[in-house]
Parts: sequence; C-alpha cells; structure tokens
Amino acid sequence: MAATGKVLVVVALFMLPIIANGDMCLGPQVTSQTYTTPEVIVSTETVFIVEFSVTCKNGLKNINLYAEFGGKTVPASKIGEPNKFQLSLTDEHKKLPSGTYQVRVFDEEGFAWLRKAQRSGENTENIKPLFTLDLSHPGVWSGPYLQSEFVAAMVAIFVWWSAYTAKSRLQL
Amino acid sequence: MKLWIAALLLAFACYIPTGAEEESEARLLVAKNILNQYLVEGKDLTVEYRIYNVGRSSALDVRLKDDSFPDADFESVRGNLRVSWDRLAPNSNVTHAVILRPLKSGYFNFTSAEISYRTTEESTERQTGYSSSPGEGGIVPLKEFDRRFSPHVLDWLVFAIMTLPSLGIPFLLWYSSKSKYDMPKAKKGN
Repeated sequence: MAATGKVLVVVALFMLPIIANGDMCLGPQVTSQTYTTPEVIVSTETVFIVEFSVTCKNGLKNINLYAEFGGKTVPASKIGEPNKFQLSLTDEHKKLPSGTYQVRVFDEEGFAWLRKAQRSGENTENIKPLFTLDLSHPGVWSGPYLQSEFVAAMVAIFVWWSAYTAKSRLQL
Repeated sequence: MKLWIAALLLAFACYIPTGAEEESEARLLVAKNILNQYLVEGKDLTVEYRIYNVGRSSALDVRLKDDSFPDADFESVRGNLRVSWDRLAPNSNVTHAVILRPLKSGYFNFTSAEISYRTTEESTERQTGYSSSPGEGGIVPLKEFDRRFSPHVLDWLVFAIMTLPSLGIPFLLWYSSKSKYDMPKAKKGN
C-alpha cells in the first residue's frame, strides 16, 4: 500500500512539469504573411503588417501573444479564427529604413519576464521568445531622383550647346 | 467678478470627484487616420487606428470593428477590419493598421470605426465607443494620377524621335560637307 503511494507520488512528480506547462505552446509552427509600405504616396509613415497563425504541438488554442519590436512591446491583435494574429508596427520613414527586422514574439509567461526585466532595467536580449518573425523591408520608394522634364531639358541644352559651338568654330 | 470665479471653482470641485470615479475604469480613445498622401484608385490605402487607454484600469475583451469600407468599393490587401485584444493596459496605446485598395474613383466619406470593451473585471456590460472619422476624401483615378506623376519616359522618347529628323538631317548634310571641304584646310594648316 505504501509502495503504491510512493509510486503515485513519483508519477505525480514526473507529471508536474507537463501539467505546469499546460498553458504553454510547445513547438510552435508559424506561418506568416507580411506587408511593408512600398512608396511614400501610399503612406506618410512606414507601416509593417504581419499576419501570422500559430499551431502548437500540444494543440493549445486561444493563446495571447505579445511582440517586442524596437524596444516597445505591443499585444498582438486576434483576428477572428483561433490562433491567428495580426501585428501592426508603424514609425517614421527615416526610423525604418530598408533591411531585415526581427520581431520577437512572447507568450504570457515570457511577456511577464520581459516586463520584469524592463522594470528593473535589465537586458531583455537574454529572455527567450516563443519565436521570432523575420521582416524584410525593401524600402520606401519616394519617386525618381531626377524629374524626366529636367533630363529632357538637359539633353536639349546639350544639343543646342554642341550645335552652337560647332557653328562658332565654323565662322572663325 | 470674484463671485464668478468662486462659482467656477465650485463647478470644478463638483466635477473632480465624479471624474475620479469614472477614471477607476478603463477608458479608450480611438483615432482613425488615413495615412495616404494621395488616394489613388488601385493603389494601397493605409488606414491606421490608434487606441489609447486613458483610464485607470485595463480594458478587457476589446473589439474593434470597422464596417465603413463596402466590399464593392474596396478590396482588402492585408490586415483585418475586425480585431480583438484580450486586455489593454492603462496608459498604454496600441496601433492597428489595415491596407485596402480602392476599386472606384470619386469622393468617399471615411466614417468612424466602432470599439466595444468591458471597463472593469466585474462589469458585464460592454462599453461602446466610436473612433474619430477622417472625413471625406477624393480618390483620384489611376489615369489622372499617372498623367500628373508618372515619369513619362515613353512620351519623352517619342518626342525625341519626332524631333530627330529636323535636327539630324541638317546635321548630316553639314557633316558630309564639312568632311568634304575641311580636309584641304587641315592640310594647309599643317
């Protein structure tokens, strides 16, 4: 009787981490689609949108996720279907030049750790996110460097100048 | 005059306690903005929603929905017009963006989005609010926009080819006569 009791305790001890991890997403599989502002006409600020869906190995649904980007943390917004999220990040054009950006995504637990570290002014780099999203931004097109009218005028002036110099050389 | 000031102070004194009472709850303000420099038919339209929680506690089960973009007039590119957050902390703000594509040109009245949330843990009633409305905006037809802003490279090339005969033919005539008569002169010089 006592032996079975011990076995039960040992089994319970082994089960404990699994039970405790019941609200954690294990082995997240992420599929994402991104949008970045292509040209200035379309927006006065650079906008990044990431839509992503997460599937957990343990079939966890209805999780809350938080994203850390450029020192700021924002809650990911949920869109209709379970475990589908959207992240919107906006900033000035200058502050978000072309390049690859990393967005670190945390679950509730990770977010609590992150907040704790931020409050005590510790380095947040060491906190392991649930996953990271890569964002490649090709840059914002702000129109051609030279106006076509300007190029055409320059060509016309060059043609006139070469003709004029040729003519003046002829009269000498 | 002094009486007037006293009355004003009294009015504020009455207002403050009620204000403090309200602020123990969550209070959301939503700003809806169109970020475009130009609204062009068939080009992206960037709509940004900024939600501020100016209350003292977290707003719970926040739902933002915007039904002001009819399917007949706008095509969705990325982002959703119906989103939710479980919790928005006090004194924080969150940004949401949606990219749409106008299918028709002409004037369109951009109206407000709707937000609903619970103000405290205990409350079962949902508070409903509306965002600011960006107002009327003119969506430019793509042709009109191109006429104003495209580099017109093809047009300039056509122009160059059209001016080529009137410049090129005299030049060729001059060049042929020059190469015929210039030779002796050059020899003389030597």
